[in-house]
Amino acid sequence: MAGLTQLLNVARDALTAQSYGLNVTGQNISNASTPGYVRRVALLETQNLGSQSGGGVRAVGLDRVTNDFIERRENQATGTSSAATARDQTLASIEALFNDGGGTGLGAALSDVFASFSALAANPNDTTTRSNVLAAVGAFTDRANATGDTLAQTQIDLKQQAQDTVEQVNQRAEEIAKLDMQIAQATMQGDDASDLKDQRTQKILNMSGLINTHTFTDGSGNTVVQVAGTTIVDGQHARTLSIDLNADGSLKLLANQSGGGASEITQFLTGGKLGGIKEARDKDLFDVSQKLNALVFDVASALNTQHALGVGADGGSGRNLFDLGATSTNAARDVRVSVDVFDHPERIAAASSVFSTPGGSDNAVALSKIFDTHIAVGNSKTAAQAYGDLIGSIGSTRASSQRDVETQAAILSQVQSMHQSQSGVSLDEEMVNLTKFQNAYQAASKMIGVADQLMQTLLNTVGR
Amino acid sequence: MRVTEQMRYESVANNLSQLSSRQAKAAQEAQTGVRVNLPSDDPIAAAQLARLSASQSQVTARRSAISSVRGDAELAESSLQQASDLMASAKDLAVQGRNGSLGASDRATLAQQVKDIREQLIGIANAKGAGGYLFAGSASETKPFSDTGAFSGNDDAHLVDIGNSTPSAVNASGAKAFTAAGGRDVFADLDALYTALSSNDESAIGASLDGLDRSRSQITSAQAAVGITLNKLEASDSVQSALDLQNSKSMADLGSADPAKSYSTLMQLNNALQQSISVGKSILDSAAFKQF
Repeated sequence: MAGLTQLLNVARDALTAQSYGLNVTGQNISNASTPGYVRRVALLETQNLGSQSGGGVRAVGLDRVTNDFIERRENQATGTSSAATARDQTLASIEALFNDGGGTGLGAALSDVFASFSALAANPNDTTTRSNVLAAVGAFTDRANATGDTLAQTQIDLKQQAQDTVEQVNQRAEEIAKLDMQIAQATMQGDDASDLKDQRTQKILNMSGLINTHTFTDGSGNTVVQVAGTTIVDGQHARTLSIDLNADGSLKLLANQSGGGASEITQFLTGGKLGGIKEARDKDLFDVSQKLNALVFDVASALNTQHALGVGADGGSGRNLFDLGATSTNAARDVRVSVDVFDHPERIAAASSVFSTPGGSDNAVALSKIFDTHIAVGNSKTAAQAYGDLIGSIGSTRASSQRDVETQAAILSQVQSMHQSQSGVSLDEEMVNLTKFQNAYQAASKMIGVADQLMQTLLNTVGR
Repeated sequence: MRVTEQMRYESVANNLSQLSSRQAKAAQEAQTGVRVNLPSDDPIAAAQLARLSASQSQVTARRSAISSVRGDAELAESSLQQASDLMASAKDLAVQGRNGSLGASDRATLAQQVKDIREQLIGIANAKGAGGYLFAGSASETKPFSDTGAFSGNDDAHLVDIGNSTPSAVNASGAKAFTAAGGRDVFADLDALYTALSSNDESAIGASLDGLDRSRSQITSAQAAVGITLNKLEASDSVQSALDLQNSKSMADLGSADPAKSYSTLMQLNNALQQSISVGKSILDSAAFKQF
């Protein structure tokens, strides 16, 4: 039967349950700005006494307010956004390399070469003018070498970055596997493991920023983490990734098999920092290097051919202006002022025949006319047009990458808002909860006081 | 929608960072007056700017080529003018010498004057400009006419690209002005007069007149050819200078910022930033828990 003792018991349970609620609220408030913290809700339920009503309250535990769908969306958006950012960083440095605004770029050096031939045609027999041709040619090769070297160095740096990123992925995978194990243990002991789950979610999110990551729960309740289409955490097992180079120098992503050996998963790499690095390195950078090499090769070969036809002030002919490989591969890095003419301004072939030295200017005119000749991009464009196209394509790639970064950041921030809206701590809400539990706690204390008073009254009456 | 603190902070931070990055860009544009700082600011304009600056450099090179060859062409023209004057004097001497009242000693005096004219003419034909001997063709470092009037130069044209579709010859042809390659050997004609005068041969003196006339007109037409070259240089220079102006204008149109526009954009963004800061402040201040 329900008596005064029962009232005391109910009040006691209420104190316990409400203070649990206060505790949970306190936890939420203190973690309001902890990254990855998912708000908890105290679960209270009535305590029944068999089929009778009139029982008290008890706290049965916590609810972690999560939404798998939103979490997966956030992982995906994080991956796409950090891919865009990683690519844009590389494009920014390429763009800076081709910034001709100051008149110090390759374009200006190229124009100077042609201008020096023009001056040579006007003064074929002037030593200073001849030396200026060599100086302009030298400045052009220096500029091409420096640009080519920087592009090559960027390629090496990006490989290093890719390797570092893969190491981080491997480390995260190991950490996630460890957390999985701890969560399984805690769950087995009947603990709720919310903090561990928060950490795991955060690590997976972190991994999404490094590489495209997908998670799902398998039949036995394990969280499976897949990166680039390959399972790397499955319950408690972690598989490692590594980076290698293809024969053509492009990056190769490998998943190491547990039994030894590795399988290539490059084609499934679509996002995360690693995806961005791969695209910037093997597509954007490759494209720019190839166009630059082709341009330098075309210009240098055309000038070589024309120069070899002419005759120097010393009567010699058949000389190259540039030392150049047989193909455009690495032309920008390897082109040099030819040993045929280096330090020998008199060997610059201004005249077209040995009989028209030293005053003949036909060949100098022909050399300067190459400026207007379609020698580049399969003899379809002049060097200046091809260089303009290169600048334009670098600029538009960067501009679209910048837009991509902005779009992806906006999408990410929207998804983050959704996630926050679901799982984040609202201090306003917690303040209301705090007051709610505080009031309930105070009321429960009052209940004890009332029960006590009634007991006193009873005892006093009976004892008289 | 449930709004959490984190969402408020992030939205304020995002807005501020976006606005301040746009404001920084606008400030740079207003300060430097340059609209296309990087190819990505306007890829199409950047590509055009690269082509225009290449074309501009070609124009500058042509103009400097024109100005460096013009001096020699002018010198050649005035030299040929002097040469033609000398030939006129030689003809005057021949007309005087044909006069039947003159004696052998008078004609010997005239012959001496013809010899002086011939020496002066050789000096003129061996004139040197900035690019070497003016009338030597491409053998510009070798004296083209010997004391006897023998020509060791050639008739090669000095070609320069001055912006026409084909390169133009900018030198005067010594071969055509003074040697048999042009029709008359000027020095031989003078020699003939000298010989006729020294040998007191009246009919030979008369016979030399025709050659002297033709020689003179040969020099005059060479002078006219240089005059045409000079006109061509002048015309090309003004075409190139118009191109120069046009290129500079296009480059300014493409690459420069409109000062009024960039200033007003900057002001707009400054205001927006100020507003965003104060709105952000009030959003963060408005959190309900502060009222409890």
